Amino acid sequence: MKKIVAAFLTLTMALSLLTGCQQGKAEQTEDGVTEIVIWHDKEDEVAEILQKKLETLEPEIHVTLEKKSDLTESLKMVGNNPKAAPDMYFFAHDKIGVYAEMGILAPITDIIPKEDLKDYMTNTIEAATYKGEIYQLPVYYETLLFLYNRLYMKDDDVPATTEELYSYMQENTRGGHYGFVEQHSTPYYAAGWINGFGGTVLTADGTPQLDSQEVIEALQYHKKFVDLMPGETEYATVNTLFKEGMAHATIAGPWLIPTVRESGMDVGVAQMPVIDESGQQISPYMGVQGIHVLKNAAETKKDAVEKVLRAIMDPQLEIDLAKASGCAPALNSCYEMEEIQSDEIVMAMKETAEHAVPMPNVPEMDVMWTVMGNLLTDVNMSGKDVEESAQSAQKEAEQLISNMR
Amino acid sequence: MKKRQKENILLVLVNLFFIVICFCVLVPVLYALSVSLNAENSLLSSNFSFLPEKLTFANYWAVFVDEPILLWLKNSLILAVITLAISLGTGIPAAYEFSRRRFPGRKAILKVLILLYAFPSLLSMTALYKLLTPLGLINTKSGLIIVYTGTMAVFALWNMKGYFDTIPTEIEEAAMIDGASPVQIVLRIVLPLAKPTIAVTAMMVLVYVWNEYIFAVNFMTGSDTYTLAAGLYSLQATEMSGSWPVFAAASIVVSIPILIVFFALQKNMTTGLTSGGVKG
Amino acid sequence: MNKKKRRETLTAYGWSAPSLILILLIVVFPIVYTGYISLTNMNVYHWNDYEIIGLKNYKEALLVLDNGFITAFGVTVLWTVVNMVLQLVIAFILASLLNIKRLRLRNVYKTLLIFPWAMPGYVSILLWKTGMYNSQFGLLNQWLQKMGLEPVRWLNTNVLAFVSCTVVNLWLALPFMITIIDGALQSIEKSYYESAVLDGANWFERTWYITIPMIRPIIAPSVIITTFTTFKQFDVIYLLTQQVGAKTGANVHTILTYAYEKAFITNNYGYSSAVSMVIFVILIAFSTIMNRKSKEEQA
Repeated sequence: MKKIVAAFLTLTMALSLLTGCQQGKAEQTEDGVTEIVIWHDKEDEVAEILQKKLETLEPEIHVTLEKKSDLTESLKMVGNNPKAAPDMYFFAHDKIGVYAEMGILAPITDIIPKEDLKDYMTNTIEAATYKGEIYQLPVYYETLLFLYNRLYMKDDDVPATTEELYSYMQENTRGGHYGFVEQHSTPYYAAGWINGFGGTVLTADGTPQLDSQEVIEALQYHKKFVDLMPGETEYATVNTLFKEGMAHATIAGPWLIPTVRESGMDVGVAQMPVIDESGQQISPYMGVQGIHVLKNAAETKKDAVEKVLRAIMDPQLEIDLAKASGCAPALNSCYEMEEIQSDEIVMAMKETAEHAVPMPNVPEMDVMWTVMGNLLTDVNMSGKDVEESAQSAQKEAEQLISNMR
Repeated sequence: MKKRQKENILLVLVNLFFIVICFCVLVPVLYALSVSLNAENSLLSSNFSFLPEKLTFANYWAVFVDEPILLWLKNSLILAVITLAISLGTGIPAAYEFSRRRFPGRKAILKVLILLYAFPSLLSMTALYKLLTPLGLINTKSGLIIVYTGTMAVFALWNMKGYFDTIPTEIEEAAMIDGASPVQIVLRIVLPLAKPTIAVTAMMVLVYVWNEYIFAVNFMTGSDTYTLAAGLYSLQATEMSGSWPVFAAASIVVSIPILIVFFALQKNMTTGLTSGGVKG
Repeated sequence: MNKKKRRETLTAYGWSAPSLILILLIVVFPIVYTGYISLTNMNVYHWNDYEIIGLKNYKEALLVLDNGFITAFGVTVLWTVVNMVLQLVIAFILASLLNIKRLRLRNVYKTLLIFPWAMPGYVSILLWKTGMYNSQFGLLNQWLQKMGLEPVRWLNTNVLAFVSCTVVNLWLALPFMITIIDGALQSIEKSYYESAVLDGANWFERTWYITIPMIRPIIAPSVIITTFTTFKQFDVIYLLTQQVGAKTGANVHTILTYAYEKAFITNNYGYSSAVSMVIFVILIAFSTIMNRKSKEEQA
């Protein structure tokens, strides 16, 4: 045992020597330099472009982008501790309500006057607004897209309505192949059907609507599609089925496109089918990714924070992001540029976004994901009665929301 | 002669049995290994075989080159070694005292300690955060070490105390008569006899520190502070990013140091005392 | 005499102090803190300005103890019993076989058998979920199909999901148990067996009358601790069947996954703390009763 401990110690020391020179770099704070720490959980491509842009603020401002797993949980813990909390964070808009109520977020308009935000797409600003205040500077947004494999589904076969989709599924779902797959019992995905029926899961003031007629109809109608899909709802299965060419079409996020292209698929992007029953397209949730300022930083480092925000408002940054990682810009003016107009995926997202519904950003949504997930599993996977399940889910949601206070 | 033959047949059967069992146990691990060596980027595939169609070491290359895995390894090693030293350093004397001496509060403490295990610790992270913040221990290795040693302390105390109880006291009494001091007795007589339990406790502590990621992710910021488990967690393939094969390769790489320690510690498990050797 | 006793007590506490202080800080403090928070209204709306509101949270926490909770409690007990029995039996058999004389590859087998222990838990669970159990691509179903059988949805129905979770939990927990029992077996004086063989005792008699009584005190602490961790097991069941966005349709809840969905997701720390305390009290009461019962049986 002594030998092992000794070996361990030697190895540790050797490694300390090897890596020792790397330490201490991050924490140099000379006079006159303002340190800004930004947490994020984005892919490397996005982080690199942000980092490059923010380096132009040197030497007065030094920005550190830190990738943080479990960002939302960590923020709850450190949010009001200036020593450990970041100055800003880059994340989707749907947690705004929680952090605003916790009192750790500063409205963007404290720093950037509202008039300067005019160029942002209305629904991104709408997503960033909680109780009348704008808490996020949008950068790009994501919606789900209708993707199809051109090897099986020709451009003319792309269903324009859900009934066409259904008959396509009936014809092609056999022998291990599926006409269409989606994460049918995952709330984020199923929400598109509910929204397309004119239903809503949670109203803007935080009231659940799971037992509304529209939601029940949507679930009942959706069920027949689910019956022609595999029994798993998690992303790995669904994405792999599509990627391996065993599913002809899917509804998925833009992040899936690079991976399927890498595998050599000729992938098409189309408009969401129109739901025959309601006459509306399947209307997925929209997630707006952007930057948020913590209260403490807004008070103590206002000038630096403003400079960072101004740098991020640069349209060129959004174009770079679009080119690097298919992010759809939040600034209207970007769409007048050739580089964006020629991007099939970004333009498809822009079109889908016109029907898309921003994810609710009220704190109540936190519990709805679980309740809705249970409702969907009950209906789609355990074959329980839709109406009864919806009613008990509604009760559950009301109970949980009352327990939040 | 005949008995020998029978034993040999039995031995072959037992060996066969263990080969089958080991294979069954290792199926998920072999699966990860195969995914990590396969050139196709997929955890899932409809046509899986343990032998990858196109062999590649690119994923292992990626683990070592693209990720600061040596830095993470260093962080993990520092935490593991110090935690282990403190755990045993505090655990052994405490366990020995609780095993050998009768003092007021002994039984009560032992009972309470085991009941503490019943607490669902889902919420204790916030509490620990509140505890470490005023001490200035957030974002420091010392903070993590305290959390880790504290978490393992109940196990260390209980587990070793239980084993000490089974060591007959006669040998110690004899040594005492020969004039050995209590510290000498523990170091020279009890510890060698208790090697197996110390080895098990050490393994438990090591594995815990090696694989713990929740505290490491939440109490530390910045990828240069990651431990192996935390780094692995950040590599975890999610819906939007990440590559399964690299993740699988990293999982295998992370497990190997622990396996080596396991193998090395095996020897220490066998040289235990014989229980009841004196008592009987 | 009294003086000596006092000195002895002091020495005992002195040597144990570092360990006990660590436990106080890291194990006891969070419990006390949770108890304190359970009396406040700390939630999203009162994150910093929370105040003591008395027992209001407990009034609501007791509502969690509905039928669903009772079912979950039953499942948890069943889960604990099934897992512990299987763990002990399997680990005992494997450890005994490992101790057969002249088994040269013993250490290789041991190291391979405890491999699952070396992997971070969430990695293992992920591997099982997507690699083994997945109904479309999982290895188990690929094998079934090769044998010409219908694929099975392993995590979709309650009973099957319970069994599948048990398999994963055993896979995760057996390495520790094998190590413990193996260590205990090696500490038994061989001469006991020799005299038993002379007395004509067969293998079962030897196991029953010598081996088990001998190893019981050695493995007892580990078994008790493992029982508690099994009782509290959250990750295996939650990650395999209940994870948000990847639910499988099975409705297997232990008290902790149940409490998680009923309380912890509300971001109301006061309320969740109260639920934790209630569960804590229930567990203590339960283990005390069990303890008393087993003592009576022994007596």
